[in-house]
Amino acid sequence: MQASSRIAIVGVGETEFRRRQERSLDALVVDAARRAVADSGLQPADIDGFIAPAGQPPADEIALAIGARHRSYTGINAYTPGAGPVAAIVEAQLAIAAGLARTVLISYGTQTSKPGGPYAFHAADPLKAALEMPVGYYGQPVYFAMLAQRYQHLYGLDSRHLGSLAVSQRAWAALTPGAQKQDLITLDDYFTSPLVSEPLRTLDCCLITDGAAAFIVTTLDRARDLPKRPAVIAGVAAGSNPVTLTEMFTQSRDFLDIGPGAAARRAFEQAGLGRDAVDFAEIYDCFTISILLQLESLGFCAAGEAGALVADGRTGPGGKFPVNTHGGHLSHAYIPGITHVVEAVRQIRGERGKAQVADASVGLVSTFGGPDHATLLLTVDR
Amino acid sequence: MNVPDFPPRLDTDLVKPFWTALEQGTLRLPACSVCGAWQWYPYEFVRCHPEATLQWREVRGRGTVFSFTRVTRNFLPVETAVPYVCALVEPDEAPGVRIASVLDTDSGEPSIGMRVRLKPTPRSNYTAPVFEPATDGE
Repeated sequence: MQASSRIAIVGVGETEFRRRQERSLDALVVDAARRAVADSGLQPADIDGFIAPAGQPPADEIALAIGARHRSYTGINAYTPGAGPVAAIVEAQLAIAAGLARTVLISYGTQTSKPGGPYAFHAADPLKAALEMPVGYYGQPVYFAMLAQRYQHLYGLDSRHLGSLAVSQRAWAALTPGAQKQDLITLDDYFTSPLVSEPLRTLDCCLITDGAAAFIVTTLDRARDLPKRPAVIAGVAAGSNPVTLTEMFTQSRDFLDIGPGAAARRAFEQAGLGRDAVDFAEIYDCFTISILLQLESLGFCAAGEAGALVADGRTGPGGKFPVNTHGGHLSHAYIPGITHVVEAVRQIRGERGKAQVADASVGLVSTFGGPDHATLLLTVDR
Repeated sequence: MNVPDFPPRLDTDLVKPFWTALEQGTLRLPACSVCGAWQWYPYEFVRCHPEATLQWREVRGRGTVFSFTRVTRNFLPVETAVPYVCALVEPDEAPGVRIASVLDTDSGEPSIGMRVRLKPTPRSNYTAPVFEPATDGE
């Protein structure tokens, strides 16, 4: 690809992350957007494209609040939360290539500490309310425990591998300013944390967070004129599995396939990179088990073999295979998908201080939500 | 054995035959009127044949545990006794169809592949699809 058609992430911003923020979702998203603009070194008037999910503060509000003037492209991010922020990059890429916008802001916020929590999203589904809640099949930890139990049956599941992920991510979080959980934990702590839905424990589960994040995509040409190192988008692809969100946790033919499969293959092809080129990976971690399933689908190993990749602290600071280097959704914050992008950009820029992965030149972000998923490969400018 | 008590919310009549059948002690599932393929969950449209409608057919109520989890923390928006064992059960006549259900584990530890049979279990105002261990030939 010629430099003129290549794109990069040039600015990232995020709010404070904690439970029970008094500020509205609109205010949180605007805060994150302003910080992303400031971080990029762009002028607000340079931002001419906006992509946000339906039900979030609309682009007109965000645009005026950050001081943008010419909103030439407005996109609705229709992908499920989780997959959405990375899938939106595909849309930004198309908008930029088509000349509809030159610089696109992608934002996402959530307030899972509101009444109903992250579960309310599923309670609103008529078929779940009609067929699943009456038997207590409800709550994402229960869904993912069902997956984990099936995994255990097919391949064997060593709880120490899940525990190693929880412990390693907490160690990363302890090196990350603003992470919600900073206190180090041990494997013993993992095994004494309460079971939620067997085999998953509280320390297998992501956090409850109110907050928002945003990032800015523009051409590599423009990115090279900005003060910070560009995080070059070497490959990005979105896709979906042949199942509805409603039926994903019951009827999915390949029950353990949560993606990203084909999207990951496309992203690696675009980048011309192999799995062994990846220096660090930010992998959507609603639960520890989700990481194992994605590693297998991403092609890092065969089905049933991901445990060995994450065992014994391999994914932690100083480990051979750094994963979720900010603490992930387990220990940093649960703003689905987007905080993984922010972290990957910071690693590529070399901004992560004690949590900096040495010689980080290729970073992977893998996300999914329901049947949708998306894969991003970022590289340093070379 | 705990069994949650959270009445189904029926926004439409689409799913009603499932619960009516359970009240009568049987298990009924929707199938395509053209080719007979099961369509679970039920939708207004039939996926395999656009011109078809859904026909509810009775199955024997025997099946196999596809997966299960012992739920030790309640997420339902009402007080619910834990633990209870939630399972996905594949009926013999409908491989690939998975019924969200509760497992009666009083007579033994659950396992994937375990043979089970329907044990309709009344709740406050509905009958829950509970399954209990079965031995074939019973």
